Parts: sequence; structure tokens; C-alpha cells
Amino acid sequence: MSAVVGFLASSIGRKVTMALSGLLMFLFLVTHLAANLLVLVDPEAYNEYSHALISNPLIYIAEAGLLALFVAHLISGIAVWRKGQTARSISYRDNRWAGGASHKSLASATMIVTGTFFIIFVPLHILWFKFGTYYDAGNGVRDLHRLVVEEFQDPLLVAFYVVGMAVLGFHLWHGIGSAFESLGVAHRPKVRQAGRMIAVVLAGGFMIIPLVIFFTGGGF
Amino acid sequence: METMTLKLRVWRQPSTATDGELVEYTASNVSPDMSFLELLDVVNDGLIKKGEDPVAFDSDCREGICGSCGMVISGVAHGPKSATTACQLFMRHFNDGDTVTVEPWRANAFPVVKDLVVDRSAFDRIQAAGGYVSVDAGGAVDANEMLIPKGDADAAMDAAACIGCGACVASCKNASASLFVGAKVTQLSLMPQGQPERDRRVLSMVEQMEAEGFGPCSNEGECEAVCPKEISVSHIQTLHREYIRASLRRITST
Ligand code: FES
Repeated sequence: MSAVVGFLASSIGRKVTMALSGLLMFLFLVTHLAANLLVLVDPEAYNEYSHALISNPLIYIAEAGLLALFVAHLISGIAVWRKGQTARSISYRDNRWAGGASHKSLASATMIVTGTFFIIFVPLHILWFKFGTYYDAGNGVRDLHRLVVEEFQDPLLVAFYVVGMAVLGFHLWHGIGSAFESLGVAHRPKVRQAGRMIAVVLAGGFMIIPLVIFFTGGGF
Repeated sequence: METMTLKLRVWRQPSTATDGELVEYTASNVSPDMSFLELLDVVNDGLIKKGEDPVAFDSDCREGICGSCGMVISGVAHGPKSATTACQLFMRHFNDGDTVTVEPWRANAFPVVKDLVVDRSAFDRIQAAGGYVSVDAGGAVDANEMLIPKGDADAAMDAAACIGCGACVASCKNASASLFVGAKVTQLSLMPQGQPERDRRVLSMVEQMEAEGFGPCSNEGECEAVCPKEISVSHIQTLHREYIRASLRRITST
């Protein structure tokens, strides 16, 4: 047991925890986006899909799992950040990025900031949608589509989501490639580039939904 | 030959326990063919003639192979030119009138001894924790008795190019020693001679690395960019694989 604790508490163990939880949450986001896009194309299918999810008792296990991933990612991320902060008490007067072989970016330099943002975003997101107004679509199916369309008539909420998804894309810009490296997959520029492209596509995909609903008034 | 005049802002700190500050010096008649250390030599000559304390800095080989020299020049470890130690950085890479800030490696694990000299014995302790192989005493074995694939030998040689200068730590926002430890672990773990201690080595070296107060790796790759020997960050991924493997073996065997 102490060997397990020793591994998890080591800086490499923490990076592994952060990478695995991050990648699993990323996979969840892929399915989340795929389902969300149904809002734009087929409201009925969207409602049925969400009904299938929330009426399945396994949803509680899935939710607990997601919460565990979120917390694990948060704790390991903060632990890594803190250990890095304490390793250099006196900073450089003149400090520049090296360029060249380095892939340091504004995204990689702000992971703690973009990550912390989701401590605010995720609870609000769940509050507004999961615990938002319950509309009945008939046959005991929740009309989640109506709620989504109503919520995204508010320009402030749309702006919040667009910014939120930009932050997500920013986090994943560094996060996807970095996670693979933490798990020991040798750095390859192509993997990094693929990670960045996927980050842009995922964030863009999520952003499209509130924007389309807002500008079409939901009447598509 | 054209010479240059540079304004230097050099970190001066009398000892570990005292505070330091940046002090300005003007270096004139700087030849483009001087190395950065020779520039400091000239500045020191002037200081000594004036009866002042010369700037302390480490150097030995002055040909980029020993890893003694090391300072942050214009915000980058070993200066603006990649794959170059401070001793091999020539003044032709600077322009007349430049202001150049010179600071010691900054990491809590590398305390400043004086001015630009830092104590890098933390690296020695990491190395002593596991960076070795056990070799039988007795007569030398036949040179070709132990066959090593060419690819492994080359990869181990790439890792062994590390001169332990500490630029990786200096450039990392977390002051992480991952590239150094990764290179040392990779070098030995690829060799048949390194197998008996393979698990113990990586576990001990990482443990020592943490105890010394080096930070974690954020996969930014600044270390590779400043490394005078261009050690690839892939060694850090090897370190992670080795550490995960050794930890799993320890977990399943207890
Ligand atoms: S003095 Fe030996 S590497 Fe610079």
C-alpha cells in the first residue's frame, strides 16, 4: 500500500493522475459534444438521448466517476503547480522564453488559471441545465431542448459560454499533448499538433451551439 | 577590427546568506571573437585594477564539454544562442550598445554561492542515489562478449551527452530537474549493464530529485531548447515510463 501512496504522491505520480483524469474527461467531452450537437439538428433525438441517460440508474455511477475525475484532476493539478512554485523563490529579473525546440505557449504558461476557471464554470453549468426548469415533452420525457433554447436567448449567458469554451480550448491546446507525454509517450511534434487541432475543433464545436441558437432564435 | 560597447547588468551577491542585486558595468572594446566568459574576464580585470571584487563565475574547460559554466544571459540559460554553453557563446551574437542582464541559475535546489556561482551538488546527490552500474571486479571481459544493438548504443550515447550544467533546471518555470534525471536514467537503463539496478535506480533518483526541492515537469520543453547538448525531452518521457514501470513492479511485488 505504501508503494501505491508513494507513487501517487511523487511528482511523476501526480502528473500521471493529472494526465489520466484529464484524458478521460476529454473523452467524456467528445461524447458530450456529439450529443449536444443533436440540439441543432434533431430536438426530439436530443431529448430522447438525454432521457436515455437520465433514466438509466447507472447514471449515478457515471456522475460519481466524472466528479472523481474532476476532483483528481484538480487536486493533482494544484499539487503540481504548488510544487513548481516552491522550487524557485527568487525569480529572474530578465526572463525570456527560449523559443527553438521549446513548445512553451501562453496556453502552457496559464494552465493553472484556465483550469481553475472550471471550478466556477462546471457547477454553474450543471445548475443551469441539469437543475434548470423542468419542461415536459410528454411521455415522461424531459424537454431539455426547450430549456437549452430558452437559456441561450440571454446574450450574457451566450457570451459566458463562448468565453468558457475558448478557455477550454486554451487548456486543451497544451493539455492533450502534455498528457500523453506525462504518461510516457515520447514527444512528437505531430502528436502535439493533433492535440492542438482537436482542442480547437472541440472548443469550436461547443461554441457553435449557443451562437447558432442565439442568432437563429432557436427557430431552425 | 570593429569592437563593441555593451552595458552589463550583473547579479552581485557576496554570499549565500546575503542579498544580491544587479550591478551595472560598461564593457568597451569588446571583440566579436571573445567568448562571453572572456568578456567577463575583461570586466574582472578592470574591477581588480580598481581594487574591487571581481565577478565570481564557474568555468573549467571553456570548450563546451565540462558543464561548469552556466548563467542566464539576457533571460535565457546560456544565452540567446541554442545548443551553446556560455563559454562557447561568442560576442558576435550581440550588437554594439546592447544591454545584457547576467544572472545565476535560479532554483532553490541550486543556492547561490557567490555572484553567478551556484551550488549544484544536488545533481551529485541525485547521481549518487542511483546513477551508477555495478561492475564485477576481476579481469576485463572480452570486448564483444556483451552484444548491444547499435540503436540502443546510439540512444544511450545521446543521453550520455548531458554535461550536467543545470541549464534545464534554470530554464524551467518549475525549476525541474526532469531532463537531467531523464538523461541519466535513460543512459543506464538502455544498457545491459544497467539492468540489475534498473528499478531501484529510477525510484531512488526520483526520490532524491524530489528531496532536493526540484519541481515537477510541465512538458513545456524550455529545457531542451536551452540544453547545450540538445538533450531531447523524450528522455523525460522515458523517465516517466521507467518510473511508472518500476513503481508498478514494486506495487505488485509487495
Ligand atoms: S566551461 Fe566547460 S562547458 Fe563551459
